[in-house]
Amino acid sequence: MKNVYRVVSLLFAFVFVAPVVWMLVVSIKEEGMKIVTVVDWFTPPYSFAVYDQILSATKLSNWVLNSFGVAVCVTVLTVIIAALAAFVLSKLPFRYRSFTFFFVLAGLLVPGEAIIIPLYQVAKDMNLLNSYEGLIIPALASPFAVIVLKSFFDGVPNDLLESVQIDGGGTWRIFRSIMLPLTRPALASMAILTFIGSWNNFLWPFLSLTDDNLFTLPMGIPTLMSSYSEDYVKPMVVNTIASLPIMLLFLIFERQIVKGVSLSGIKG
Amino acid sequence: MRMSKLRADIQALLYLLPFLVIYILFTIWPMIKGVNMTFYKWTLIRKMKYIGWDNYSRMIHDKDMWAAIGHSVIFVVLTTPTMVILAIVLAMIANRKSRLQRLYRSVFFLPSVLSVAVASFLGLFVFQPYTGLVNSVLHLVNLLPENTEIFWLSETNLSWIAIALITLWWTVGFNFILYLSAMQEIPDEIYEAARLDGANDRQIFFRITFPYLNPITKTITMLQIIASFKVFMQIYIITGGGPLDKTRPIIQLIYQTGFKKNDLGYAATMSYMLFAILLVLSIFQYWLNNRKGANA
Repeated sequence: MKNVYRVVSLLFAFVFVAPVVWMLVVSIKEEGMKIVTVVDWFTPPYSFAVYDQILSATKLSNWVLNSFGVAVCVTVLTVIIAALAAFVLSKLPFRYRSFTFFFVLAGLLVPGEAIIIPLYQVAKDMNLLNSYEGLIIPALASPFAVIVLKSFFDGVPNDLLESVQIDGGGTWRIFRSIMLPLTRPALASMAILTFIGSWNNFLWPFLSLTDDNLFTLPMGIPTLMSSYSEDYVKPMVVNTIASLPIMLLFLIFERQIVKGVSLSGIKG
Repeated sequence: MRMSKLRADIQALLYLLPFLVIYILFTIWPMIKGVNMTFYKWTLIRKMKYIGWDNYSRMIHDKDMWAAIGHSVIFVVLTTPTMVILAIVLAMIANRKSRLQRLYRSVFFLPSVLSVAVASFLGLFVFQPYTGLVNSVLHLVNLLPENTEIFWLSETNLSWIAIALITLWWTVGFNFILYLSAMQEIPDEIYEAARLDGANDRQIFFRITFPYLNPITKTITMLQIIASFKVFMQIYIITGGGPLDKTRPIIQLIYQTGFKKNDLGYAATMSYMLFAILLVLSIFQYWLNNRKGANA
């Protein structure tokens, strides 16, 4: 019985890594080689020639940088903006607090996909199409991040805040030196979810970009693929270059990522 | 006294300002503007002509739209139960004590970090006839006779299966982790007590693990339905909505109507149909959660 479990487990693991391994193996084959059976994976020659070719002849490395740059900007700014708003909603009494809270909460019900057409028109009117700003700014207000962070801020005891006030500290000091340090795990988790979300964002870049210097990976890769038809080596090199950085990041930050995702269960 | 209250309000507003400005400009305002757009014939270069409710009556009779919604529903039906079951199975594998525990955890989540374009193209190549990974492996283990090929992507039913499998592989990692963390919260003593009472593995799963996971299962199911309903990119890359538009989901139809047929007004109208469906699902999800909270 124990062995049955083990075999089934290994089989699942194989199914999950096989496409990635296949991608890596095919990417270091020589162009024009037929890779038909799994046995072919393990037969040399191998070569990195196509990597040089792709990196020098295409804008792929630009697109990797664009994807990272946009994701980093979106992540940092989203978390800051959401933390500021969540702090107010959690700890600062003001007149329209419950109204503001419901106003933000209502945003959870607005599916981005359903307002993409008018968003396009709005961005166009504001001259935001085909620019980094246009990729970044519309993504920065995340009601989800605000609501989740607020629930974490709610968990910070008010006594702590009052002790800062007694020492003569203002709200900004409370925010900077009490709230942010105490909720760092939640902020990190939110950052990770935002990063993955931005990294995978397709629809908005797809609609708003026409300049291929600004493309992010999900936009750029399809334009490359359509020109390769003979064999898989070039496409797999493209896929590999696009994936290696994010896979390395994943392996380094695995624990935090897993924590961040399990936090997203709060969404429900 | 009154002064300090005003000061508190102003201070709060300053903290909220960055969020509210962007939220109103890029979520609330488009939402309102979109309603306005539905009453116009509205092109990309903004030639507008007021046409009243025409877009709506056209939508009600639009067979293509109903077909596209149907395709999105097919995708939801194909992916939701499989996604939930597979996530539980994977979580059980990674939750069992073994030397490979950490490896399983990384491996099952790994595809989720791939860019959608990479995941989709990888899937596309994996399901290719003659040279694809799936057919090669099927040949290798003799499940598929020599000299026959399965044309996964040129037949509607098979392409649905391929799309669903690729999506499962790519995104099940998120649900897997939600289940895994929920499973780790089940106290060991419960299992030990059950074993002392002579319960077998199956009984333990159906009497303890599964009931314990019930709330998270509801949450994951609803989130999955909503997420699956918004499918677009993988299908767009893998089949392009074909063969013969038979896999075209609603978002792709909205995109094509707006940007290929230059009919933004009608595209906006259809997106409110999508909005309405998603809104109903989200409200249902809130209701479920609040009920869950009330019971807890």
